[in-house]
Amino acid sequence: MLYAENILFTAVMLIYFAAMIFFFVFVAVKKDLIAKIGVLLLCAGLLLHTAALVCRGIGAGRLPMTNQYEFAASFAWGLCLVSLVFILKFKFPMLGVFAAPVIFLVIGYAAMQSREVRALMPALQSRWLGFHVATAIISYGAFGVSFVISLIFLLRERMKDQGFFDLHTPKREKLDLISYRSVCLGLLFLTFTIVTGAIWAQRAWGSYWSWDPKETWSLVTWLVYAVYLHLRIRRGWRGKSAAIFAVAGFVCVIFTYIGVNTLLPGIHSYA
Amino acid sequence: MLKKFWKFVSSMKFAITLLVLLALACAAGSFLTQHQSYEWYASRYSERTAAVIYALGLDDVYHSLWFLILTAALCCNLLFCNLLRIRPLIRKTKEFSDPQTLRSSPAAHAEITQRPQAVFEALHFPKPKEIEQNTEKALFSKRNGIGIWGAWICHFGILLLILGFALGQTTGVEYAVYGVAGQTKPIADTGYLLTIDDFRIGLNEDDTVSQYTASLTVSDGKNGEAQSAQVSVNDPASLFGYQFYQNSTGWAADVSIRKSGALLQQETLCAGESLAVRDLPSLALCFNAFYPDFVMIEGKGPSTASGKLLNPAYLYSLYYGDELIGMNALLSGEVITVDDYEIRFSNPQNYTVIQIKRDRFTPLALLGGLITMIGLILAFYLPPKRLLAIPDPSGYSLIGQSLKGGLLFSEQLSAAVKEVSGQSDP
Repeated sequence: MLYAENILFTAVMLIYFAAMIFFFVFVAVKKDLIAKIGVLLLCAGLLLHTAALVCRGIGAGRLPMTNQYEFAASFAWGLCLVSLVFILKFKFPMLGVFAAPVIFLVIGYAAMQSREVRALMPALQSRWLGFHVATAIISYGAFGVSFVISLIFLLRERMKDQGFFDLHTPKREKLDLISYRSVCLGLLFLTFTIVTGAIWAQRAWGSYWSWDPKETWSLVTWLVYAVYLHLRIRRGWRGKSAAIFAVAGFVCVIFTYIGVNTLLPGIHSYA
Repeated sequence: MLKKFWKFVSSMKFAITLLVLLALACAAGSFLTQHQSYEWYASRYSERTAAVIYALGLDDVYHSLWFLILTAALCCNLLFCNLLRIRPLIRKTKEFSDPQTLRSSPAAHAEITQRPQAVFEALHFPKPKEIEQNTEKALFSKRNGIGIWGAWICHFGILLLILGFALGQTTGVEYAVYGVAGQTKPIADTGYLLTIDDFRIGLNEDDTVSQYTASLTVSDGKNGEAQSAQVSVNDPASLFGYQFYQNSTGWAADVSIRKSGALLQQETLCAGESLAVRDLPSLALCFNAFYPDFVMIEGKGPSTASGKLLNPAYLYSLYYGDELIGMNALLSGEVITVDDYEIRFSNPQNYTVIQIKRDRFTPLALLGGLITMIGLILAFYLPPKRLLAIPDPSGYSLIGQSLKGGLLFSEQLSAAVKEVSGQSDP
């Protein structure tokens, strides 16, 4: 099973790379068919990626979400899933142009991690592990999509006369709305992540909140996006300001994910 | 003046300021090593920095007065904001149910010649009611009215969460008892005694730890009533109203001291503990560390090659008064000799650390978390929507409103009208 996972993982990397190239070619030659192929490749990549994760799960005899490699691979999966949902729901293939490189970067980061399967340490042997990590994957994926859409929004601001770009991206108001919706999805799932993590921590360590760096930075990320939502209401932050804030918010997400693990070790140092 | 203060404390501007400050404080606390001594900060940074850290309470950010004040201010903001919003929200809920108010609200418009009910159906509205509208019979339906309360419920949940956490921190108790199997120790001043009946470390095939399991008996020191349970990581037990957690483990060993060949004392010491010689208290032994498979690594010092008891060694320090008179790693069977005294280590075994907690407000904090999640779902995914179909000479005029995502709702309404009218998308 782990051999199959290795082959599938390599195939998935190649497919995401191909999807990224197709999306770049789409921008260069401006043909919709190329973008459709890019979307199809992302779909195929997601299917194989799902199969790879299933193989990993069967091979390891547990949920494949317990170390840096598994979480990065799952993060890329969540990013691809949420991107495809938004591409298909809002008929927005241009999203793929920006999402595919991010997905490829995350899966590339996963490829650099150790793929060794180790037995679960006692603290990780909990039924809450699945809920906690799965909700984190969706949350990070949604924030990633919001980041990508905000980048598109800012780029569109700078390229006002780009007919092709205008034609293939939703109106500014709609882009802003999609980014907002993505942040809402991310914040909701981040709340699930924090609450399920707290319940788990209560059972494992007898304390549902210990100010561990990972917990603290999840809270910081939550607060940053809560400020984003309140600024939209209070000061009518829409468009460019909101897009810049969403990009900055994703920096917090990345720090919570990678920065904390490398710079601020704590009880989540296995994550 | 008071009114102004009340308004400011409940304002969103104040909330945003607090959220930003709390985020910055949390981030600062994560970067700066917490709970260190003044000397530690002075040696790591500088005297002046250490003074600033201590003056601002940055050595314990999350329990500093200013952090508690910020959190309390956030609670006041949430409380006052929610109290002030009850009446407007009730009014908004009533208005939402009143089709008359739809005409004066920013809304989506569309026209349809026939079958307006099908538009309601396509947009997943409940079956519309017939209402009198300027002597004509119009159709009206609404959905997700509860969504109006989403943010309010979310704020209420956060308030409960913080309250539960604060009450738990102030009223809860926490103790730790450690020992080896067979030992009985008091649980602080609770009057209960904890006996560690057994402690096992399960291993995987690759020698990594699969689980730590301790069998415990807690007895009431007054009446002798006893309760037993088994605890392991992720599987705590509840005894006499306290929660017992398998927290951590370490190495312990038996230490025997002989004087002129006769046994003077024998005790079990956990690594890190000290023991004074009974008839010469100024002579003290400190059991610093234990290496089950001892190796000396050049440049690194003593270490262990594996977790197995293949070559046990005990790192000790010996003090006479305040003076360090010896420090070494003692292999199995070796003896420390000081004048007439002979000290031996034997029977290395794992001790367990049992954490004992009682926090009656954990359920309140958990409830707060659940309510927050429900509030967010209502706020984000149940946008209140309503639709009114008024007969006009060409058919029906449709007026719809979504209190969130109006642009998308407008597009959905147009798409539904096109679908019902049998028009194709251009």
